[in-house]
Amino acid sequence: MTRLLLFLLLAHAAMTKTVLVVTADASDFVLGAGGTLASMVTQGDRAILLRVTNDDKDSWDLGPEETAARAKSEVEQAAKILGIERVHSLGYRAGELGGISPTEVRDRILFYIRLLKPDVLFIPNPYAEYVEVLDRHYTGMAAEEARRIAALPNHQPPFVQVGLGTHITPELYYYAQPFDPRRREPESTPTFTPQPKVVDIAESFDKKLQAAQALTTINYAMAMRIRQRLDQTGRRLPLLDAINAESIRKLVDVNVRKLAEIAAKDSPYRQAEEFMYAGPDHQIPETFRKAR
Amino acid sequence: MKHAPLLLFAVLLPAQRLPLVAIPPGKVLLVIQPHHDDHTTDYGMGGLIAKFTDAGYESWFVRASNDEKDGAHGYPHNDMINLRESETATRILGMKGVYSLNWRNDYMDPTPLQELRAQLVLLIRKHRPDVVLGHDPWGHYDRNPDHRKVARAVGEAVWMAGLANIHPEHLDSGMKPHRVPYLFWKARVDYGRGHRPNAAVELNESQVKRKEKAYSTHRNVYASPSMARNVRKMLDSEGLKVSELEELTDEEAAVRIEEWHMDWISRKRGAENGVRYAEIYWFTDEWDYLPGLKDFLRSNTATK
Repeated sequence: MTRLLLFLLLAHAAMTKTVLVVTADASDFVLGAGGTLASMVTQGDRAILLRVTNDDKDSWDLGPEETAARAKSEVEQAAKILGIERVHSLGYRAGELGGISPTEVRDRILFYIRLLKPDVLFIPNPYAEYVEVLDRHYTGMAAEEARRIAALPNHQPPFVQVGLGTHITPELYYYAQPFDPRRREPESTPTFTPQPKVVDIAESFDKKLQAAQALTTINYAMAMRIRQRLDQTGRRLPLLDAINAESIRKLVDVNVRKLAEIAAKDSPYRQAEEFMYAGPDHQIPETFRKAR
Repeated sequence: MKHAPLLLFAVLLPAQRLPLVAIPPGKVLLVIQPHHDDHTTDYGMGGLIAKFTDAGYESWFVRASNDEKDGAHGYPHNDMINLRESETATRILGMKGVYSLNWRNDYMDPTPLQELRAQLVLLIRKHRPDVVLGHDPWGHYDRNPDHRKVARAVGEAVWMAGLANIHPEHLDSGMKPHRVPYLFWKARVDYGRGHRPNAAVELNESQVKRKEKAYSTHRNVYASPSMARNVRKMLDSEGLKVSELEELTDEEAAVRIEEWHMDWISRKRGAENGVRYAEIYWFTDEWDYLPGLKDFLRSNTATK
């Protein structure tokens, strides 16, 4: 019996994947990939979040210090709801990644890839167009490069010397909110990876919604900015006549449901998330693996 | 050959028309471009700027570089001549004035993004534009470093200017955060697939004429007599004659040729989109930055 239990535990461990999620900011990973991450955790995978900026800019009537402090606890709460077991932060100031050495950001992500040795990596899609938050672009570029060089021992030899050896991450998901009109178009030829992938999130949707609701500082700022714009142009949205926990909850609900509906369009699913995806075939194409 | 009927059908299909967008509600327009002439080149915005003027907008032009390389007069002289010509050209389009940020022309790759962005955030907070016209930050194949850098900086400045924690020192001077609600991005549509316009703007004849005149005002770089001489030589070598050019000096002929070019591109864009004259853009509406909420906001907001 003990042997059987041990065998089952080992088999489970062998099947459990480590998922590293790289995000530029508090909301992007929740809105772009939260449902898929929650599903993976439910299926037994372990997920870890790496925040690149400290989200110190996005608030209403709060200075950067308090904004960053609140964002930290809210991101940790959102991550917990999704089942993410740990959050690491690189701490760059939001909106300033364009002025940071891309190599520096890359190598700090590389450190975590070699430390955690993930089987799956989620990164912001740096090629998604019309995403106005360019921190997401810079983070995506750095993370994509970090994944590649994590396998090369001549990159950051000191990491290797302290035991952080090379690592190949077999699966890669590029996530983005649906700004890019060409996001569903296949890249280049059919053999090129990554390719578009739509993931059913109906089972995990409620967790994604709860996680988005946990980001109370940016949700409040979003509601206030919408109402400010409406006030300035002589309009009103009845939902935001009074901005309180209930009206913000409803606004976030509409937002997250619609994003899931947009992603599910033309798919067999009711609620979904969409990615560009490079699977294990990206390393060894399926045709070659069959030949062996 | 089995696909031949399908291909023929595809060739016969008219190109898909873009939706025609109207001038958004508002009062202030900021045009932010790398160079003195980017407001009105063949892929540029001269007609739309004139249309904003006709709609009662107050508009300002921001020139990010010093244009020292553009022209035959050497560095400091080119800078001054190009600045003066852009002031004249933008007046023709009805603009109020020109800000010159004076970054070194064609050397903007190493320009610190955040320094440039800070200047733009400041100007956005000062003028509080309802609309910004600029280079498409997502355009591909743009070989000009100034275009790439300025496009990125504008792309960030238009929304970051709305965050109080970005450059809070501006707030200490009495300015308030301001997010720009409407954007028109422009890029060369012949530069690969990077710029796929999503909107056309209909122009009238007067707007096209002002665009032509503004364009040919940039004599330091366009409408040079040598260009007219080359065109005359080409026409002669092919035994062709354009009577309208016969009586003109080389300089007058060059201006006329540039005006024809503006007229041709405006008619071409118009014909592609079912109107007489047009320009084409990537247009961002006020709620497009919230893809999950924009339909809800458009459907549920009401006038007070």
